[in-house]
Amino acid sequence: MLMPIFNILIFPGLLFLFFFSLAAEFFDRKLGARLQNRVGPPWFQPLADFIKLLGKEDIIPEEADNRVFKLMPVFALTSVSCAFFYIPLWGKNALYSFNGDVVVVLYLLTVPILTYFLGGWYSRSVFSMIGAVRSLTQLFAYEVPLFMTILAAALLADTWSLSKMAAFYSAHPGYWVFNILGFVIAQITLLGKLEKVPFDIPEAETEIVAGSFTEYSGRLLALFRLSINIEMVVGISLLAAVFMPWWLDAGPIAGFIIYVLKVAALISLVSLLRSLFARLRLDQMINLCWRVFAPLAFLQVIINLILKGALFK
Amino acid sequence: MGVITKIVNWGRRKSPWVLHFNTGACNACDIEIIAGLTPTYDLERFGVLLKGTPRHADVLLCSGPVTRQIESRLKMIYEQMPEPKFVVAVGTCACTGGVFKGCYNVKAGINTVIPVSAYIPGCPASPKALIDGVTKLLNSLEESPKKK
Repeated sequence: MLMPIFNILIFPGLLFLFFFSLAAEFFDRKLGARLQNRVGPPWFQPLADFIKLLGKEDIIPEEADNRVFKLMPVFALTSVSCAFFYIPLWGKNALYSFNGDVVVVLYLLTVPILTYFLGGWYSRSVFSMIGAVRSLTQLFAYEVPLFMTILAAALLADTWSLSKMAAFYSAHPGYWVFNILGFVIAQITLLGKLEKVPFDIPEAETEIVAGSFTEYSGRLLALFRLSINIEMVVGISLLAAVFMPWWLDAGPIAGFIIYVLKVAALISLVSLLRSLFARLRLDQMINLCWRVFAPLAFLQVIINLILKGALFK
Repeated sequence: MGVITKIVNWGRRKSPWVLHFNTGACNACDIEIIAGLTPTYDLERFGVLLKGTPRHADVLLCSGPVTRQIESRLKMIYEQMPEPKFVVAVGTCACTGGVFKGCYNVKAGINTVIPVSAYIPGCPASPKALIDGVTKLLNSLEESPKKK
């Protein structure tokens, strides 16, 4: 009885996720700063930001819908934290798993975007409404290639469970090579989900102030920022679990270190892309996703179908 | 001072998010503020981030004398910021009105409209002076937490 509570609240649940996501944000910001030839923030910066926001006044605009405005950050945080339990992190087994959890994880990672939309829409500020509509428009662009690439990997493993996928890919070493195309597409489209720089159109601070979060302040903003950070960690863990199924037999401690290294490598890829590219326009982003990534993701599905026919007769 | 107050104060000192607002400056101070955020001076080492919305900001950086047209907007932006909030007047004009003092279209310094926590003189105030002023303001938090 105590063990699940410990798992959910402390390790690898909320508390671990909290510090891990703050560390991930620090790593991302520091690396971004170093790539821009700056010194960058000190190590405690995300924690200081979080504490400061907790200590600030909550302002709820008069015209905003009080209940939706307050609930949305909590929803975002809950859904991304739940998704974490179904992803195999170190070792081949996730904390909880059932057949079909890969779909559940993908949808749990979509819920935050909907909360950004609803929170922004019910703020009733022009900037946040534009940001909300943009984040939903962007959702329809990147979601399809991202889902297709991850489901293509599941197709090859012939299961809808992430834990069984991890078991399959470690039982067949070398099979991850077939998913490299999918990995590249998933990594790029994940930036759209995280609203990081080439695809940070919904938050574009030079155009629409802060997008959906324009009216948020204090504790609610802190929860939203935390859920964005956790979403980064969870999304990247998902990619690491699906596309980098290496050394999963290493045991708990070595496995944990390998997992952290995988996450660090993927986050540094995110910061690298963030420093390399400028923001795209919304139409460019949608063109790119639908005309380039979606056909390539479809190609990945076809490749995996053919491989499946050829390899498992 | 309780432990929680200390921790929150630490957070406030380490993470001042600024909002830059031109209250009628000639643009020189604005360029210097932007220079402070560039890689050469890199204010992010002190946790300073430039924010676009007053709801996220802790520190309002005002540059220039308050013109009569911008007075009501300055008040509105100040009121939109969540507590605790600080106002920094950047440049001589923002401190006292400078050479524009007494003009028909200009009120004097920022402090004629909203309360100011720190004054950074200079025409224009250099990024070094800006960093110095902001860190002094934040260190003063440690001694007497501003409560309202």
